[in-house]
Amino acid sequence: MSAVFADAGRHGEGPLARLMAEASTLEQASRLQEAEALLRQALQVAPEHPHAIHMLGIVAFRSGNEEEACRLMERSIALSPNTGLYYRNICAIYRALGRLEAGRAAGLRAVSLTPDDPHAHANLAIIHYDLLELDEAFACCERALALKPDYPEAHFEKAEVLLLRGDYEAGWEEYEWRFQLPQAAGMLPKTEKPQWDGAPIAEGKLLLVADQGFGDVIQFSRYIPWAAGRCSELVIAASSELKPILSQFSELQGIYHRWDEVPDYAAYCPLSSLPRLAGTRPETIPASIPYLRADPARVAAWVARLNDLIPEGFFRVAIAWAGRAAHNNDRNRSSTLAQWQAILATDRVAFLALQKGPPCQQIGAYYGDAALVSLGPSLLDFGDTMAILESVDLVISVDTSLGHLAGAMGRPVWLMLPFAPDWRWLLHRTDTPWYPTMRLYRQRAPRDWEELTARVAADLLRHARAKEETESPQWKMSA
Amino acid sequence: MAIDPRSCTCGSGLRYARCCGLDLNSLSPPQATEPLRPLLAEASAALQKGEAERAEATVLRLLELAPGWEEALALLYSLRKRQNKAAAAEVLARRMVALNPNNFWATNELGLMLFQRGALAEAEVLARNLVRLAPRNPQAHNLLALVLTEANRPHGGEYHYRQVLALLEKPDAVVLANLAWNLKTQGRFPEARELYEQSVALNPDVLQTWLGWARLEDADRNLARAHELLDRAEKVSPGAASVRLLRAVFYGREGKLEQALAEIESIADAGDAGLGANELLEKGRLLDRLHRPQEAFAAFAAGKKKAREALGHGYLAEQANELVRRLKAFFTAERLAHLPRARRKDGEPQPIFILGFPRSGTTLLEQMLSAHPEISAGDELPLIHDIAQSLQRVLNSPLPYPEALAELWMADYREALDELRDTYLKRAREMGIIREGARWFTDKMPLNETHLGLIALLFPASPLIHLVRHPLDVVLSAYSIHLTHGYFCAFELESIAQHYALIADLVAHYRSEMTLRYLQIRYEDIVSNPKRSIERILAHIGVPFHANCLNFSENRRYARTPSYAQVTEPLYDRAVFRYRDYLEPLRPVIPILAPIAQRMGYTIDELPASGAGKLKASR
Repeated sequence: MSAVFADAGRHGEGPLARLMAEASTLEQASRLQEAEALLRQALQVAPEHPHAIHMLGIVAFRSGNEEEACRLMERSIALSPNTGLYYRNICAIYRALGRLEAGRAAGLRAVSLTPDDPHAHANLAIIHYDLLELDEAFACCERALALKPDYPEAHFEKAEVLLLRGDYEAGWEEYEWRFQLPQAAGMLPKTEKPQWDGAPIAEGKLLLVADQGFGDVIQFSRYIPWAAGRCSELVIAASSELKPILSQFSELQGIYHRWDEVPDYAAYCPLSSLPRLAGTRPETIPASIPYLRADPARVAAWVARLNDLIPEGFFRVAIAWAGRAAHNNDRNRSSTLAQWQAILATDRVAFLALQKGPPCQQIGAYYGDAALVSLGPSLLDFGDTMAILESVDLVISVDTSLGHLAGAMGRPVWLMLPFAPDWRWLLHRTDTPWYPTMRLYRQRAPRDWEELTARVAADLLRHARAKEETESPQWKMSA
Repeated sequence: MAIDPRSCTCGSGLRYARCCGLDLNSLSPPQATEPLRPLLAEASAALQKGEAERAEATVLRLLELAPGWEEALALLYSLRKRQNKAAAAEVLARRMVALNPNNFWATNELGLMLFQRGALAEAEVLARNLVRLAPRNPQAHNLLALVLTEANRPHGGEYHYRQVLALLEKPDAVVLANLAWNLKTQGRFPEARELYEQSVALNPDVLQTWLGWARLEDADRNLARAHELLDRAEKVSPGAASVRLLRAVFYGREGKLEQALAEIESIADAGDAGLGANELLEKGRLLDRLHRPQEAFAAFAAGKKKAREALGHGYLAEQANELVRRLKAFFTAERLAHLPRARRKDGEPQPIFILGFPRSGTTLLEQMLSAHPEISAGDELPLIHDIAQSLQRVLNSPLPYPEALAELWMADYREALDELRDTYLKRAREMGIIREGARWFTDKMPLNETHLGLIALLFPASPLIHLVRHPLDVVLSAYSIHLTHGYFCAFELESIAQHYALIADLVAHYRSEMTLRYLQIRYEDIVSNPKRSIERILAHIGVPFHANCLNFSENRRYARTPSYAQVTEPLYDRAVFRYRDYLEPLRPVIPILAPIAQRMGYTIDELPASGAGKLKASR
């Protein structure tokens, strides 16, 4: 969940106040350069104006200049140390910068100064979640909701706490608030048709909606057969990239990539709401693995290609070190290739990067010793990814769709999780009821990839050696 | 309008308007200037009588009136050449060729001049034209043979030398010696030796023959014999600078550094001004080994200045940048996803591409790998470059390389990469580089990484071994030797650094956008832990470890590159982080190289404020 982060100030009257109000309007309209120009104009008149400085901080943050935002906001706090709003906002900045302790202190100060501000409680809840202080996070959500009962962010945060603790019954209910979040706009069809309640549909189609990210779709697609058993006809709306995944479900009678192509339906349901309707609890998660399979012809082609690219005797590990940057927790869940140094240093292991998107560029800047093969540029779709996963010895990934895909295929996969993981990975355990072949590796401190990758590297070395010994390698490396 | 009296800056002696500023379209037809013929006869007669000044004045008058007269231009050209006015002579030769592309003599003269100053690409165009003009003329074949041999295409060069010999119908001492040199570059020492013997038997007074033979014996690791041959050369031309330079090189090889330095310094008692580019660079290298970095650097700088003056231009930055821009624009993941790849041709030895900026240790690595029974050394194969140059023609494309590769989308060129792959393999086979029983052969043409995209299309399963070395060491080393690779970047530190950064960025692009069988190896790791490095490389290639690779200095193969003498020594670490002794003069290139060095995991140790002092270990 993203932090509440807003100006929310009253600007009063007079020319300066009008300037500030106008700047605020521009900022909210995302006209950041114009807002900045007005704020700088205001600061020429009143160089020590804490709110102008603070708003400049907001503009800097939204322009991607986090360090500058932090500096400006700290200055506004120094100038006006009892303004709760400033602490509330800097709480989010500190979080973005990974300075969770400072964020918590600011959040606590915000709620002490403005105990009636629900946003201050919500922001503090997020920081507590990041620090895995779940009781505190839950209490903050409750306080925020007491002040503002229809507050989607607080509900969603509460859902995450409940689900992470394994309280699925209460958690699923709160989780439904996700569609009220601003970022969920456009995720569901604009329709008068009802959202499905799980009751059998005798006539008409049930439209599933592949909401959220690719990983979520892969994870929740296991419920497609369950939903199909409760309606006469099942179709799904999904982005075209998901076709190789969804076309494996014979229960689906249509896959549509555009809203205007979707045929008439009786009711719709987000894919990620199916666990709630199915009454899923951690002990009843349907895990009929594998439920996704690679196309044998593609597997054969990829086996041949991989044999060309990687000589015999190498333990083959598919990797992905980053997810989509747009994911709201990407700073915590994604790593950099450089942070995988310990893992990549493992001898006799070939690393097959199944990375897509901008993180691929990190391969060009990688000058380590690993036998690293970048397959991202050769992946046309998930069909290729599945074929490769079928051909490797192990998958190591951060919390991104590759892990889900490997898990759904029943392939051995090690998932590296941030200190405060997504709710679906529960707490403390090294396994997951969602994917029996998955092993979870959890950070022991926020954003501490070094310790985590060292642990994974040690296990990988043991794992690869064990395989090497069983398969009588042709050549061995010297120590 | 007033007459422009300015003399042309090329040194021809003509007015600018009658020389480099001349519009050839404005020339009068031959019959209109025919009445001037007596002037030409007068100039020729004066020259024959040894009255050069009068001949020059007359021919200048004639060319003022008829600037397009070939005979007059030829006469002035001969005068300027005799006066060692190379720039003016070249301008005049170019004008003759421009006026009459069928002028064999002028084309040959210009080709030779260009060859001598290292402008091989242009010289090759002219040489090929000569063969077209006169396929039975030995001079035509001789120029092409010279150019091809010098351009690292000795197999083509050998063919044309043999044509010369056949056309002459009798042995010629110089051609035999040139062919011997050609065979030496192919590592065919006994044949080369036999030809040198024949050459000196025909004419024992050709200095270059003795020098070439001495270098052959050096390459065959027989320094005692090499010294004897230098003694013979000394008799032919007492005190010749080229003899002393080579003697210095041999002394250096033997570790007699002071003696070597004395030999160089004896060439020009007046100081460095009397030394040529090669002598200065050798002097710098000797001073470097004698731990006299400041003097060494001064010698490098002086040598590079002279070499640049001789070539007439420096780094072709615009061309280099333009090619890289176009390569990056063409080789993108999106485009490549839909381009075909050549299939692996089973049952034939496959290339291993050793990539790296010149002076990164590629020769050393090739020497180590080719000590493996399954790996032959291909040396600097010009094949990828040739294929890149031929793509537009082969693919019948309206666009040059790399855009010509867009033809691969067309039905009739879907198999073209397989054909180009076969061309490469066939030419490699014909070069005779592949040993019996070898499954692999190396191609270590410097800067082949520029064409990494094309290589990966032609040989997607071939191992790509990329040597990296501390960028400052690479730049320094490239500055210390004569080098024309990389768009002539090696004349100045800044341009070497610029080209290094340009290519590093291009390689990063390829690695981000393409699936490659790529392994990076540090030169410093090879030096500090050769066994582990070789194990990694051999594992990447997919051949078992072989201890011979570690005893590479016993590999009798001759490496045809500037590093060949170094790779006949066991591993040494004197070249690791040598930049530390040169930080001050290298300071201008640090801003260019620091970001790359950092990405590579190297540090650049800063000098203390005084500019002196020891530096901490880096990497």
